[in-house]
Amino acid sequence: MFELLGAGLAGMLQLKYLAPLAIGALVGVVGGAIPGITITMTVIVVLPFTFGLEPLQGLAAMIGVYVGGETGGLIASCLLGIPGKPSAVATTFDGFPMARKGEPGRAIWLGIWASIFGGLLGAIVLIAATEPLARFALQFGPWEYFSLFILALSMVAGLVESSLAKGLASGALGCVVTILGNDPVLGRERLTLGIPWLEGGIPFLPVLIGVFAFAQIMSDVEKMGGAASAEQALDRGVSLAVSHARVLWDILSRPFVLLWCSFIGLVIGVLPAIGGSAANMLAWDQAKKFSRHPEKFGTGIPEGIIASESSNNANVAGSLVTIMAFGIPGDAVTAVMLGALTVHGIQSGPLFISQNAQIAYGMFAAYILAHAIVLAILLLGVRWMLRIVVVPRSILFPVVLVLCTVGAYALGNAMASVYVLLVFGVAGYAMVKVGFPLAPFILGVILGDQIEVNLIRALMTNPDPWLFLTRPISGLLLGAAVLSIAAALWQHHRQRRRMAAAGAGDADF
Amino acid sequence: MKILPAVACALAALVSAAASAAYPERPIKLIVPWAAGGDTDVIYRTFAPLMQKQLGGTIVVANVGGASGTKGAKEALAAPADGYTIFAVHDSIHATYYTGVADVNYTDFEPICLVSSTPSIVTASPKTSWRDMKALLADAKARPGQITVGATLGSTSHFFPAMVEQATGVKFKYVSYEGTAPRMNALLGGHVDLAESNLTQKGKADAGQLRFLAIATATRNDEIPNVPTLKELGIDVEYAVNRGLLALKGTPADALARLRAACGAAARDPGFAEAMKKQGTLVRYLDHDAYAAFLRKEDGLNKALAKELGLLKR
Repeated sequence: MFELLGAGLAGMLQLKYLAPLAIGALVGVVGGAIPGITITMTVIVVLPFTFGLEPLQGLAAMIGVYVGGETGGLIASCLLGIPGKPSAVATTFDGFPMARKGEPGRAIWLGIWASIFGGLLGAIVLIAATEPLARFALQFGPWEYFSLFILALSMVAGLVESSLAKGLASGALGCVVTILGNDPVLGRERLTLGIPWLEGGIPFLPVLIGVFAFAQIMSDVEKMGGAASAEQALDRGVSLAVSHARVLWDILSRPFVLLWCSFIGLVIGVLPAIGGSAANMLAWDQAKKFSRHPEKFGTGIPEGIIASESSNNANVAGSLVTIMAFGIPGDAVTAVMLGALTVHGIQSGPLFISQNAQIAYGMFAAYILAHAIVLAILLLGVRWMLRIVVVPRSILFPVVLVLCTVGAYALGNAMASVYVLLVFGVAGYAMVKVGFPLAPFILGVILGDQIEVNLIRALMTNPDPWLFLTRPISGLLLGAAVLSIAAALWQHHRQRRRMAAAGAGDADF
Repeated sequence: MKILPAVACALAALVSAAASAAYPERPIKLIVPWAAGGDTDVIYRTFAPLMQKQLGGTIVVANVGGASGTKGAKEALAAPADGYTIFAVHDSIHATYYTGVADVNYTDFEPICLVSSTPSIVTASPKTSWRDMKALLADAKARPGQITVGATLGSTSHFFPAMVEQATGVKFKYVSYEGTAPRMNALLGGHVDLAESNLTQKGKADAGQLRFLAIATATRNDEIPNVPTLKELGIDVEYAVNRGLLALKGTPADALARLRAACGAAARDPGFAEAMKKQGTLVRYLDHDAYAAFLRKEDGLNKALAKELGLLKR
């Protein structure tokens, strides 16, 4: 294992891999730093540029974007109080107050160093756990996969803040999308309505681009007035000078927060399709619960920043574990990564790491080196980041939209993907408008086919439906799915009571 | 950067060349009716650059996957027969026609040439007790309809074990696993007992993760000299997945001639044979006449098989 990792690191240091990794990291940091541009969008924009590269070059670039984005997001969170991306929301809670209290440099560097530590702690688990997990994943028959996907869907639906019913409905809608086209067993057409480009079903990457880039940008355009005031909020004369020794001491003198929150990030990352936006909130909440002075959270204390930023970088490692061992995306970003693997002719899944050891360890190496590169980029260029976070959206959004469309076309050199993008851009926007969460929807689109196929496979292998409950792993996973729905119900119930007590609004469900 | 030719292609289509200079004056679209990264895709992404060197024009690979390869076939048929759309076909087109998945048939196209052939191997899960083909057949006779076979139903990986069934009088139980990679995962985990695979899986067989029981060729393969052929075991089955190129009916004669010449030269390129060896694939070139005869023969075989399997829909 260590020789392989050593070889991976040595290989990654060659210019032909280092260059795409560094460019990816830079693009990621910039994309992450700009409020309104999520990491998912950045990855989508970068993907088509990697088609012509070697697989490992392309993947290095994508990993660079992912790691860079997770780190870059904290800059706007700390300085503007606007999260650069959903997984840096909790960073604003303490980062922004700290910056306003006259320590913007400390806030930013606490975040950066916590990101690096969290990421590298994640790397240890990534490297140690992927192979055993892949071996474990081979035990998964169709019953286990079916139950795992059901668990993933119910967990994501349960995480929705407003309404469990809307979360579940959104996931179900996503599954319905995968019914269109043809049946996965004999390829018979179904529900194609005679439209030729529906015959092959709806490819998920254009749907994902439509929902996560188009729909999101459209709803951001509505709020565009707010961006200008953000620019004014930023004090141009802000100094980011800071003693790195002191920041490092700040972090290392709080090993519990760092370790526990990295661990939370990892676990959330490993769970299919939950992602960084949940990880940073949960980590911040946990740090607060375990703290001796919870009342200080939110006033600008180091623990809050460390919790949020270590968790979201560790979350990247967790997502990579899942995508490499199970071939299931950990979140929207890894869904694009999964697409990237496929485009490069690599089937991810339980056999990936043993069959493509060179690429797998190359990816580990890229992940580790990405942290060093991101640190170097920020040490050199954090000043310029201040300029980047205030780039006018009127310039940014059209560019991103055009790149997304070109990207969709380049996926298969076919217009059908562009039509899918358009339809789902509009549909996604409508869903946002009526308060349907997008995460369960996209997960439904990603997993719908797999749920159906595995259900059919299980029943073709053995017609006994009780096997879903009596096979131990499958039974456990289904039990966990039921529990997660029950927990969500209980949480919503409690929330509603609290809200009712406060006399405020209603949680519709 | 593959995106550049793609953009160029789109622009070229928009401009719609009026003057007819020498063929090819704009990029040719090669429709691969399977997802990127599959066997067919990998073969043609190697083949296309070699062919384009011969043609002196660009070939853009377009993956139009779905509906067991028939979606791409339909898209090809909808294109004008001007020599700027060609289609990457394999044996499943016969199967999908007779099993009623789609109305597209090979006779809707004009053969260019046959490119490659990938012989099938009977492959068992390491969790089974069978060390050789004989043990498998004995067990299959003792437990009819209980041995599970992973296959893309109605396609080549279904037809091959069905031919073995027919030749030996055993009965398998089929489970839908579309695509080689999912089938191999299922074999490794012991979720199915048996599946068709090919030489691309040699690494796993060497590592003891899969068991090659017999290869469906006339003579043993140099790469795996210890694996017997079905024929020498007295099972009269030869099977391979054959891939070729088709043009649309009505393509201008000069364009067709250029395509056929380029296809032949590319197939004979030693670099192609080298690359295909890594894919567990043999280069098998047939010119358009021989290929047409080959297609007719395959078609008859597939029709008979579909009938035997009870899948014949026309």
